[in-house]
Amino acid sequence: MDRYRDFTLGEFVWDKPFRTWVLNPTREDDETWQNWLAAHPDKREIVERARQLVLSIRPANASLSHPEKRKAVERIVERLESRSAEHEESDYVPWYAGRNVRIAAMLVVLLGLGWAFWLRNQPRALNYDRLVASAGIEMRETVNNTPNPLMVRLEDGSRVTLDPGSKVGYPAHFREGQREVFLSGKAFFDIRKDPSKPFFVYANELVTKVLGTSFTVRSYDNEQNVSVAVKTGKVAVFSREDPDAVEMQSSRELTGVVIEPNQQVVFVRKTVKITKSIVPEPAVVAEGTAAPNLEFDEAPVSDVFSALQSAYGIEIIYDKNIMDECPLTARLTEMSLYEQLDLVCKAVGASYKSIDGRIVVEGKGCRNM
Amino acid sequence: MKALPSPELRPDLYFEEEQKLWREMLAGDVTAYEQLINRTYDLLFHYGTKFNNDRELIKDCIQDVFLGIWEKRNALNADIPPKAYLLASLRRRLHRLASRLRMDCMDYYTESDIVFDLEFNAEYRLIESENDRLIASRMTEMLNELPKRQKEAVFLRFYNDMEREEIAMVMDIQPQSVSNLLQEAFKFIKSHWKSIVSLFWAVRFWI
Repeated sequence: MDRYRDFTLGEFVWDKPFRTWVLNPTREDDETWQNWLAAHPDKREIVERARQLVLSIRPANASLSHPEKRKAVERIVERLESRSAEHEESDYVPWYAGRNVRIAAMLVVLLGLGWAFWLRNQPRALNYDRLVASAGIEMRETVNNTPNPLMVRLEDGSRVTLDPGSKVGYPAHFREGQREVFLSGKAFFDIRKDPSKPFFVYANELVTKVLGTSFTVRSYDNEQNVSVAVKTGKVAVFSREDPDAVEMQSSRELTGVVIEPNQQVVFVRKTVKITKSIVPEPAVVAEGTAAPNLEFDEAPVSDVFSALQSAYGIEIIYDKNIMDECPLTARLTEMSLYEQLDLVCKAVGASYKSIDGRIVVEGKGCRNM
Repeated sequence: MKALPSPELRPDLYFEEEQKLWREMLAGDVTAYEQLINRTYDLLFHYGTKFNNDRELIKDCIQDVFLGIWEKRNALNADIPPKAYLLASLRRRLHRLASRLRMDCMDYYTESDIVFDLEFNAEYRLIESENDRLIASRMTEMLNELPKRQKEAVFLRFYNDMEREEIAMVMDIQPQSVSNLLQEAFKFIKSHWKSIVSLFWAVRFWI
């Protein structure tokens, strides 16, 4: 998106991706652009002008009314049906001699061959059994057959809390230089800090790498998605299919998609796509012992946002110049983050969106209120 | 500052869906066939009117195109972009018909016989500022001055989201020629854009 920073009005108007966003946007396009605009508020005016120009200049089209179109479409389908009826009556041939039957027989053979070929070449989805089998060291396994969460203590003091019906595989003794476990189902991990021995959770196609933190992994073999949500610390997530996976795994730093408290990633197995978002119910990140002060008296709204930002550790993007004009008196204790945001935004005539694991606030400011 | 309204979102699967309907139709699915017609009818009709203004004739041609693909469905390629293929068939058919009407007994035709006639319009009520309305009116004029084949390429590329290869298929020319047409159109647009914007500055200066 960086190339758009110096775009002129004309360049925007004739830029293909820009036009697609204006004329036929997908959810993804829209997020990308709104995000970019939130980060470059000075570009709003030119973008809005370009948008209006794109929308207003269209080819002149003859009108085609809805009933007229429907009639025409129906006529085609009717024609089709009467035609195929004629065919059936006119040329009767024994069923096995028909051209269609021969084609069908050929298709069956081709399909069979194709299927066999497909089976051989199918990149098989990675699941727990296959992952454990490829680990190559002596493994232990704990399965939670109870109806309650089950805690498993690992050799290094880390704890894994398994949901009912889930299982975790781990080596009898961790290898030199890294700790690796395999998960099927859902579990909460509380990992003992040891930067010299990064901790890896393998769950279907997704690899989660941490140094010392707590987080939840949800990965059922029969589900479409794999997700990771962070409670404390930082976690890096990447796909095993990623060409750089080996490098990300061995690097001393956390690379890949890095998520922080109250953020989660969802990996869609079918499309091999990782998206980052905010967990459904963000919790206050305990830093130190004092609860965050969320009572405000005639405070600029930007102070409120920055207090919420540090309370939840979620980045909140807003235009400071505009939001500074808005004073707010409110008690935001004992509410969820979204209730707090609803209340604040309503008070100052703004709105918010959650984009890419961050909150973006848009509003006109309060000069005229 | 004003929050930009989000335009109406198109489902992400839009394009794949068209291809999916095409494949199902080739496999003999009548429901998919009808959906495909419904989905592409407006585009075909509007495209047809750019060549000929006899509405009934265009509807007949579209009908023939669709009945034709149903008949040939066993021989058609499942990976052809459906929109481009349909537009190309309609264009060919309209032309054949035109030359027959002209009592042209020779059964071949030259490209120049097909005249694509498109007008661009500006919908001024969508524009807030007076200056931008002026820009829009000049831009529309400029687009309408484009040579016809460039106009058609611009129309397919910028208003129907088609790739170079698809445009080549519709216009029945080489992909390289599509690039050339678009490049020429752009040179034209760029050279005129400067005068449009400078006019805009001048007006602002005078008022």
